[in-house]
Amino acid sequence: MLPSRAGLGLKPEHFRNILESGPDIGFFEVHAENYMVPGGPMHHYLGKIREHYPLSLHGVGLSIGADAPLDKTHLDALAVLIDRYAPQVFSEHLAWSSHGDFFLNDLLPLPYTATTLNRVCDHIDQVQTHLGCRMLLENPATYLEFSTSTLSETDFISEVIRRTGCGLLLDVNNAYVSCINHHREPGAYIRALPLDRAEQIHLGGFASQADANGDPLLIDSHSAPVAQDVWALYTEVLEQMGPTATLIERDNDIPPFDVLLAEVNLADSYLVEAGGQRE
Amino acid sequence: MSKSKISQSEITETNTSRTMTAAAMALALGSAISIAAVPDVAHAEGMEKCYGVSLAGKNDCAAGPGTTCAGTSTIDYQGNAWTLVPKGTCEETASPTSPTGFGQLEAFEEK
Amino acid sequence: MSEQTVFASALLDPAQPCPDGLRAWNGSDPNQRFAVYRNNIVVSLIDALAATFPVCQQLVGEAFFRAMARVFVVAQPPRSQILTFYGREFPAFIDTFSPASSVPYLADVARLERLRLDAFHSADVEPLGTEDITGVLSAPPRLPGLRMDIHPSVAVLQSRFAVFSLWAAHQQADPGLARVDPLQPETVLVLRSGLEVQCIDIAEATGVFMDRLIQKETLSQAEQDAKACEPGFDLVAALTLLLRWQIITSLYPGDEHGQLD
Repeated sequence: MLPSRAGLGLKPEHFRNILESGPDIGFFEVHAENYMVPGGPMHHYLGKIREHYPLSLHGVGLSIGADAPLDKTHLDALAVLIDRYAPQVFSEHLAWSSHGDFFLNDLLPLPYTATTLNRVCDHIDQVQTHLGCRMLLENPATYLEFSTSTLSETDFISEVIRRTGCGLLLDVNNAYVSCINHHREPGAYIRALPLDRAEQIHLGGFASQADANGDPLLIDSHSAPVAQDVWALYTEVLEQMGPTATLIERDNDIPPFDVLLAEVNLADSYLVEAGGQRE
Repeated sequence: MSKSKISQSEITETNTSRTMTAAAMALALGSAISIAAVPDVAHAEGMEKCYGVSLAGKNDCAAGPGTTCAGTSTIDYQGNAWTLVPKGTCEETASPTSPTGFGQLEAFEEK
Repeated sequence: MSEQTVFASALLDPAQPCPDGLRAWNGSDPNQRFAVYRNNIVVSLIDALAATFPVCQQLVGEAFFRAMARVFVVAQPPRSQILTFYGREFPAFIDTFSPASSVPYLADVARLERLRLDAFHSADVEPLGTEDITGVLSAPPRLPGLRMDIHPSVAVLQSRFAVFSLWAAHQQADPGLARVDPLQPETVLVLRSGLEVQCIDIAEATGVFMDRLIQKETLSQAEQDAKACEPGFDLVAALTLLLRWQIITSLYPGDEHGQLD
């Protein structure tokens, strides 16, 4: 388990700074695919940082929602990383990103039906068996819905978690973005998820655009600070769940390290308010 | 492998002066070992120029930055509608463009 | 065709309408929302290429580079989930991309940038210490047949163009490109020393020598091939390069005919 602290997405730009200054951060999270390389600085720095901090391994390329078998080579590469770095947690997305021979490098949406439910559960069973550990499944940020869906997203996720025994990675920003995009109430959406199975929270920033009707269309860009509405939702979530490991994500327009550290500290202060303990 | 062995023996038989003896090779390696033991000689002579590389991680789970339309344009990559010419530091080199280059007329005319 | 097949093919072809069965709560045109996914894929892959080939982007300018990268992305999307490996085919694509033909050295600069990234992520293998190398001097007759393992980061790029000078100029605030003659042939040795990737401007014959050693040829064969390239090949300087950068990871002494013991 990760500590009930705030953590930060680890960016190569900050490797040296972290090793030199040893900031008081609860954990770091890395995107697994960036470390699926034979050797060199990525492994050098991650190994050093892992000596001092808990680690969350977050996959972005497994394509659990694909209508094709999982890529065994990719599962093997994940197993190698888990063996090498012993992360406290491994998580992936409710989405697909590979099709045929190609990797599309986006977290693409799927309809929620009995068929896709069976497939996602099969895939998660395979992942957990292959890796020998439970995984956390992250709720997606989506921009469209499928008219063929017969289940709500929250029912779909709840059923996947019930059947496979996996945990929930609650991305509060994704919940907010999707709810605005699909005209739902974010608080109600989150309450409909199995929060007792949530072991980690993600917080990130979004970009605001408009759809063809001029209604808001939020993009999960990870390019901005966490929005006020999302912080508000987060404090509500903590009231329901109690202190839970919380990641600050920033992947685009990465600011100086101190700016991210301030966001981490803010999340930590909410965690303390919610009854969490800082060392 | 067999090919290289043949060419080696041919050279040895027909032109011994081109084949280094083991002794000469040992001498060369010995010299190299002593030169390499002295730091930075080569740098001082300007033989080597070195630069680091910046770190980067390319996979992430964020959406692409910018606007929704940046990835959806159809016009600018259809071959018959290509209107761009290289306009970067290549224009500063001694011979910025080859005389056969596609689009080089506009580039030259602008100079 | 499966739902995801239709979805995927529409993603990479903006001329296609978005797939049937997609909807928005307000009944708005789903094409505009689908465009978010198109944008994410194309822009993120162009960004990945721009990160791998920064000097190429400087050479032709951002607008041209991104437009060229877009053609490549749509024609050859990645096959690996590991984006740092994306773009191995980009230099060959540039060779065939006619709008870039006025910058004939662009593809070789791309090759150099690709080699640098591969060196950066290559496997960690400990180099041999000086004692191990000095040890082979104790049996000179076995030197001509010596073969070696070279560090996996090491690669040689031999170009008809001044690929090193062009690349190096862009590592400085003031490129001073006016002093670079792009049509001057150059050979570059790429390697990783510790955590740093290095580019070293070497003689063509030294490049031949390194290449033969990487191919597991004998020291004698490598020396002969280098001499055939340039009679003035300097063996001492080439060996010094190997030793100074510590890129020998194993030695396999043989007899004078290159046969292993």
